[in-house]
Amino acid sequence: MAELSYHVENGESNKGSMSKELWNNNGSGRTAQNLSTSLMRKKSDPMLVSNVRYEMLRNFLSNLQQVILGTKLAVLFPAIPLAIAADFYNFGRPWIFALSLLGLTPLAERVSFLTEQIAYYTGPTVGGLLNATCGNATELIIALFALYRNKIHVLKYSLLGSILSNLLLVLGTSLLCGGLANIKKEQRYDRKQADVNSLLLLLGLLCHMLPLMFRYAAAPGVLVADSTLQLSRASSIVMLVAYIGYIFFQLKTHRQIFESQEEDDEDEEKAVIGFWSGFSWLVGMTLIIALLSEYVVGTIEAASETWGISISFISIILIPIVGNAAEHAGAIIFAFKNKLDISLGVALGSATQISMFAVPLCVVVGWMMRVQMDLDFSLLETGCLALTIVVVAFTLQDGTSHYLKGVILCLCYTAIAACFFVHNVPAPLDQTSVKMGLKPPSAFSA
Amino acid sequence: MASLQEPLWLLENGNLKGPNKEIRHHGRTAHNKSSSSLRKKSDLTLVSKVRCGLLRQFLTNLQEVFLGTKLSVLFPAIPLAVLAQSYGFAREWVFALSLLGLTPLAERVSFLTEQLACYTGPTVGGLLNATCGNATELIIAIFALSQHKIDVVKYSLLGSVLSNLLLVLGTSLFCGGIANLRKEQKYDRRQADVNSLLLLLGLLCHSLPLLFRLAGAAPTAETTDPTLQLSRASSIVMLIAYLSYLVFQLFTHRQLFEAQEESEDEDGVSEEEPVIGFWSGLIWLIGMTAVISLLSEYVVGTIEDASSSWGISVSFISIILLPIVGNAAEHAGAIIFAFKNKLDISLGVALGSATQISMFVVPLCVIVSWIMGIKMDLNFNLLETGSLALSIIAVAFTLQDGTSHYMKGLVLLLLYIVIGACFFLSQTPLNQANSGLKIPPETIFRV
Repeated sequence: MAELSYHVENGESNKGSMSKELWNNNGSGRTAQNLSTSLMRKKSDPMLVSNVRYEMLRNFLSNLQQVILGTKLAVLFPAIPLAIAADFYNFGRPWIFALSLLGLTPLAERVSFLTEQIAYYTGPTVGGLLNATCGNATELIIALFALYRNKIHVLKYSLLGSILSNLLLVLGTSLLCGGLANIKKEQRYDRKQADVNSLLLLLGLLCHMLPLMFRYAAAPGVLVADSTLQLSRASSIVMLVAYIGYIFFQLKTHRQIFESQEEDDEDEEKAVIGFWSGFSWLVGMTLIIALLSEYVVGTIEAASETWGISISFISIILIPIVGNAAEHAGAIIFAFKNKLDISLGVALGSATQISMFAVPLCVVVGWMMRVQMDLDFSLLETGCLALTIVVVAFTLQDGTSHYLKGVILCLCYTAIAACFFVHNVPAPLDQTSVKMGLKPPSAFSA
Repeated sequence: MASLQEPLWLLENGNLKGPNKEIRHHGRTAHNKSSSSLRKKSDLTLVSKVRCGLLRQFLTNLQEVFLGTKLSVLFPAIPLAVLAQSYGFAREWVFALSLLGLTPLAERVSFLTEQLACYTGPTVGGLLNATCGNATELIIAIFALSQHKIDVVKYSLLGSVLSNLLLVLGTSLFCGGIANLRKEQKYDRRQADVNSLLLLLGLLCHSLPLLFRLAGAAPTAETTDPTLQLSRASSIVMLIAYLSYLVFQLFTHRQLFEAQEESEDEDGVSEEEPVIGFWSGLIWLIGMTAVISLLSEYVVGTIEDASSSWGISVSFISIILLPIVGNAAEHAGAIIFAFKNKLDISLGVALGSATQISMFVVPLCVIVSWIMGIKMDLNFNLLETGSLALSIIAVAFTLQDGTSHYMKGLVLLLLYIVIGACFFLSQTPLNQANSGLKIPPETIFRV
């Protein structure tokens, strides 16, 4: 018992610096995403707990400490009860929005930690699958709530913003910081992983552009809403098939391309919490995420009006920054250490997951719920996505990096953020007239 | 006079020929090297007959500046243009003569900038070249802005970018490929990659206002046009990118951009010693800039008359004719270096110019017009932005493997010809009062 407590109390054996090569030892399904968020962990302080006498209580408290305090983001945890209190006592709705957003940040990171812990017990493949589906749990839950509330534009914007944030902001800051920190060394990464992700993103782009061009190409007067919807649903199935193929590629046949280059000393092969406790924590945290997401989706219009910022800006820029904060910090830290493969794996893997899994999943769920969600993200958004994917694919296709690449990607993100900042689209709440600022072609004015 | 013999010898000999040692970092970018190939050795005998030493120096200076280039045959066009303007000749003559006069002036300004760079050191020299390298285009653009001809500005800058990317690069790759059919032509792709990336960022900043406008954002009466705000913010972004590019090019990653000049036997233009003094160079530079301004004013003022009397659209003149004139010297230089299989320099010239115009001159014009209260935005309309997008993608793809052959050059040239044909036939009326042309989208989106 003492030995077990010792392991549990010592928290994670890594001090946030380097990790050993993991794949060959027991292959615990640790993808780049898991590695990056592991940097946000900190070693739990055993002294506090060892004072408590009863072992069961001690285990429970260690468990609690491990889960709640095991991250540097734990300072934001008080925002969760505050958000619930704000909703209960009817504070200003923008406050509920802001507090919910703040509360989501550490929760997203904890879910990733718990997923990783569970992966130790289930083996590499299921662990990889778990990560592939739950890696972006926050975005997925927000999207499903928006779908449920029929706020299709919020849904589309937030998913698009997640992709843009991963491709430009996370990647750009990583390359910039890594380039500045390693200015004398040559920075290389394996371009095969980047190529696979770019290819999947291009497929996603095609699936988005087809309904858009379909709508534009229709002769005026012909109703195409039905055809675009059917096309979107078929394309979503195609995208899901592509994603399954990618998972198969990544976890089974071509695993070696995606192995992170971790030859250092520390190993995290021991899980720090038990399987069932991890599982119950995961379920509990997902419920809290669901609650906060419901607040976020419900109060977004009120926040937008009060703060004077357009809904598109909040959905495309603010919400993804919050949802991605932990991965973002991790990617930057790995770039500082010149381990670009991991940073790229985080950023590109997230973007691919959202583009090829979360978006078509929402279309399919919308199909089942009889909500008219299609893949037509309207001209401005699809144009931004197209140019982003082209710029990123071009940036990553030579296998080396320097800080100017990071600067350019960050500036691209700034330009897109400025675009959506000035984009004042009225937010229709009923689903039939959701055009996101797209007027019919006959009304073009300049 | 014996005591003055040596510096005089240096002055009179013009550019020293002979084998070129490793070039020190005199801020000689590829830009400078290419136009230096148009220089010729001054003829000494004419000047050495003059008796008085001071007069001899002055005349040498004059000869160096005026006759030191093969393009100097076009110099008489300048006084002719001034005459034509003051005596009220037909406007299209003023236009044509001003255009012809601008060609050698652009080259001389580049020469003078290079000479000054010998005195100021590599970094300032590089900066000087980075800003004044496209002085002609910049001055034409600012004059057009002051006369409220915003579409002339947009067209001429766009045409400059297209001309550099497709025409200069295409002819260089083509001629270089034909001349070096047996050899393998390689260049360092990292420089090309950096430039392509900057051009893609510029493309994004141009596309956003266009898509914004197409998506139906109508400017309301009481608030500022959001497209204009977005363009101004994007211009600041582009200028920041250009600054970082300069830091990258001149300070931290200098080794990527050093021209490969290890051994060079025939075209030994070793310019480590400047041929004119610093102050005389500066004075000449200011004088020539003033003459360029004058001719640019004529050009901008008479462009509509030339267009209507020759029957060519203003868009064609701005996009095709003006940039060919402004770029003639660099163009010739790039081709010559491609003949010698020194593709890095040709690429440096063409891509560097395109990047400079796209990321420096265009946003600078937007900022200047913001200060002047003119509504210039980055929305270059669908046809122009589409041409730009396809050109950038074609060039980025062409240059991304690090080798070259004549077929690449041929394809880029044909791209330019197609775009030229497109603008030749595009007869949209010139609208001077507001911010640019409107091509009715129904005609484009109709099946």
